Formats: sequence, structure tokens, C-alpha cells
Amino acid sequence: MEHSPVTTNPLIIMMINMTVVFIVLVSLMYLIKLIHYIDPTKEPEKPAQAEEEEPLVAVKSEPVPAPEPEPVVEEGISPEIIAAISAAISAYGFAEQVKAVRIVNHEGTAWQNSMRNAQCAMRNGRR
Amino acid sequence: MEALNAFSVSLQAVWNDSGFSAFTTGNGIMILVGLVLLYMAFVKEFEPLLLGPIAFGCILANFPNTGFFGEEMNVMKAINYGITYEIFPPLIFLGIGAMTDFSPLLARPTTLLLGAAAQIGVFVALGGAMVVGFNVHEAAAIGIIGGADGPTSIYLSTKLAPHLLGAIAVAAYSYMSLVPMIQPPIMKFMTTQAEREIVMKDLRQVTKFERVVFPIVATIFISLLLPPIAALLGCLMLGNLFRESGVTDRLSDTAQNSLINIVTIFLGTGTGMTMNAESFLRADTLLIIGLGLVAFMGGTAGGLIFGKIMCKMTGGAINPLIGSAGVSAVPMAARVSQLVGMKSKPGNYLLMHAMGPNVAGVIGTAVAAGTMLAMLK
Repeated sequence: MEHSPVTTNPLIIMMINMTVVFIVLVSLMYLIKLIHYIDPTKEPEKPAQAEEEEPLVAVKSEPVPAPEPEPVVEEGISPEIIAAISAAISAYGFAEQVKAVRIVNHEGTAWQNSMRNAQCAMRNGRR
Repeated sequence: MEALNAFSVSLQAVWNDSGFSAFTTGNGIMILVGLVLLYMAFVKEFEPLLLGPIAFGCILANFPNTGFFGEEMNVMKAINYGITYEIFPPLIFLGIGAMTDFSPLLARPTTLLLGAAAQIGVFVALGGAMVVGFNVHEAAAIGIIGGADGPTSIYLSTKLAPHLLGAIAVAAYSYMSLVPMIQPPIMKFMTTQAEREIVMKDLRQVTKFERVVFPIVATIFISLLLPPIAALLGCLMLGNLFRESGVTDRLSDTAQNSLINIVTIFLGTGTGMTMNAESFLRADTLLIIGLGLVAFMGGTAGGLIFGKIMCKMTGGAINPLIGSAGVSAVPMAARVSQLVGMKSKPGNYLLMHAMGPNVAGVIGTAVAAGTMLAMLK
């Protein structure tokens, strides 16, 4: 049923609405935390003490890895394409960082393309 | 002589029934507007899936004597019913739900706050609209453009200001397609280089239990609290349940492919059909488009400010750039966060982190719409 608005003051409407939006979304946030808390399928969390000790052991036994070098990117390739390529490679389970990205000449002959594919396959150890 | 007379009368009848006899300058201008929108959609690729049908609907709506909105039932009238009776927006949400992965949100629920903060743009534009002379119902419908959520904008406009539907839909979808141009300058202006370079910790694994229970619990909670948006939120969560249950793959596939594509055609064409010269060629339309931009920029700024607050409160664990994804242009706003982050620090992948506030923004905009409906309807 339609009724006249409670108020027409924009400031009051803004205050009330933002408060309601925050209350609803904060409530939803706690509901998500509750779902996680009661989740019977979640893996039990490690005790806090064990978590604290782990990094110490790791620091003593393993050398700190050197930062991965940035990929060599040919000019004219947008960061969006680099991100898509990196994400696709990560999705296939290869943890190594992308070393270089360059544009392949699609106008080469069939022999050139065939050789390029063979080289890629060899490099990936599939032969 | 008789034949010549009959020929002349017939020609006169054909002319009188043709669109040319009733064609106005307004119709001509609107057809030009439709052609410009078609160019933007198909050549510039600005949201072509929606702007294309909207543009073509706009052209169709400006042919006189078509009888599209007369007494007799026809396909265009049937499509218009889908908008008038708020059928299409919830069906679009069903498809969006089936396409959406809530895992980033479930893994880091605090990002819901960013989705809430980005709604500030809605209310800034609402205030602005009232200041320039729109009534409270019209202002609320205009403000929701700031949520960057097309179906919700159409849903709210249909309920509160149906005469502004065409202008609001065009503004909403135009700005959504311009997210990659509108947001980055604001993001760079409002954040420091050090903040943009923050690398966020990997998200935890979310279990199937959480992914299945969340849409059910969220639907019950929000629908009880805000019944006016039960159809929107319910369809969003039902679509997501199809996806996550693991036993309704066919329904999920239909919702996220065939159904959403069909409804998109109808929603776009129907929205375009509301853009006739009488209702669109007014100074109000320019005001709506201007206010929409204010709403969009306000929403982006609101998300970024809250992102900065969360960054400070967590000791630098949150990259504020993900705050701008709180406007619900899914997944474009998240992609913009990723791109700006990558430009600041190559290899800084923010996409999955930004998806949390992005889907929170969809819920936030629907909640904002529900609150306004509860207050104003």
C-alpha cells in the first residue's frame, strides 16, 4: 500500500539509508562468520602456538628465496594481457613466474609455426 | 477516371497511415540518439550486450503509428509488461547469481563494509537531485545510478519514477561501460603510491558448506528485513545456489547462459522503447546524466575512503584500491582495481581481493534500493 514519504529532507534520508545499509551488511558479515564457525566440514585450525613456531623453524632451515625477476615484456602488450596470461599459467598449477612475454608473428609460414610449436613442446619437456 | 480516383484515395490512405505523416523533429532527434548509442555499443564496444538493444529499442520507439503501445496486444507491448511489472530485473539477477562466485566475499567478509561505503554515491546524488528540483521519488531513482547496477536501477525507477526510466537506464549503463575511464583518475588522486603497492595476503579456502549455506541464510535474513527487494535478492541467491549446490548444473547453465541472454534482449529493447521523444527530450535528461556521473564518482570515492580507513585499521593489510570495486559494476570495477594495482606494482594481483567488495556492492545497492522503497513507496 502506498503512503506518503516519512521525510523529504535529503540529509535525513541519506543518514537513515546509509545507517540501514551498514547495519544490514555488518549483520551479513557476522552471519558469514557464524556460518564459518559452525561449518562442520572445515579443517581444524592449527593451535596458535604451533603457528607461531613454524616460521622460526622455516627461517633457520631454509634460505630466503631471492625475489623473482620481473617478466621481460615486449612493447605494445598491455598489463591486462600480462595479467590474463599469468593467471592462466597459475591456474594450470605452474608456480614459476612468467619470464618473458613477446608477440608471436602470426604471418609466418606454416613451417615456421610448426617449428615454433615443436620448440615450445621441447622446452616444456613434453618430448 | 474511377480507377484514378481510387488510386489517389489509396495513396492518401497509405500516406496517412505511414510514419512520415506523423513524424516529428523530436522523433528524428531520438532516432539520431539511438544511432549514436548503436555506434557506442557496436563500434566502441561500450556495454554492447545491453546498450545495443537499448539503442535499437530507442529507434523503434520513435516510429509514429506503429501501435506498439495501443490497445491491442503485440510483442513490444508484451516486452514492455516485463519491465512495467518488474519481471526482467529479477530474472537478470538470477543469471548474475549463477555467474557470481561469492568465495572472495566469504573468505574476507569485512569487504562487505566496502560495498556499504560505496553506496554513499547513491545518497549524494539523491541529495543533489532534490536540490536541483526533482521530487524525492525521482531523486531516489536517479541516485541509484551511483550503485552501478543496471537491473536495480531499472527496478527502482519502475517503482518510483517510471517516466524517467529511459534516461536513468541509459545513464546507468553508459557509466557502467565507462568505469575504466571514470575510476582510475579518482583512484590515483585519492591513494598514495605506497598504498597502491600493498600486496594483500592470499584468501583462505572457502568450503562448499559455506558457499551453499550463505545464499540461503542471506535470502532469509534480507528478505525478512527488506521485503520490497525479496524478488531481486531471492533470484540472485537462487541463481548462486544453482551454481554452488553441485547437483543443478543444468539449471545453473540455463540461468547463466540462455536465460540471461534472452532476458537481456528483452530488458534492453524494452528499456529503449521507453525512450520516446516526449519523455526523453527534456532538460531533466541532461540533469539525470550529470547527476549519474556525480553518483558514480561519489560511490568510487566512498569505497576508496573506507578502503583507506580499513588499510590503517589493519596495519596495511588491505590495499585501498579494492574499495573502488564496492560500486557493483561486476566484474569491471574489480578489473579496474587489478589494473591500477598492476600499474603501480607489476605482479600485484588484486582481482580476487577486489571481487569481495564488488559482489558486496551488488548486495549493498539492492539493500539501498530496498531501504528507499520502504521509506518512500
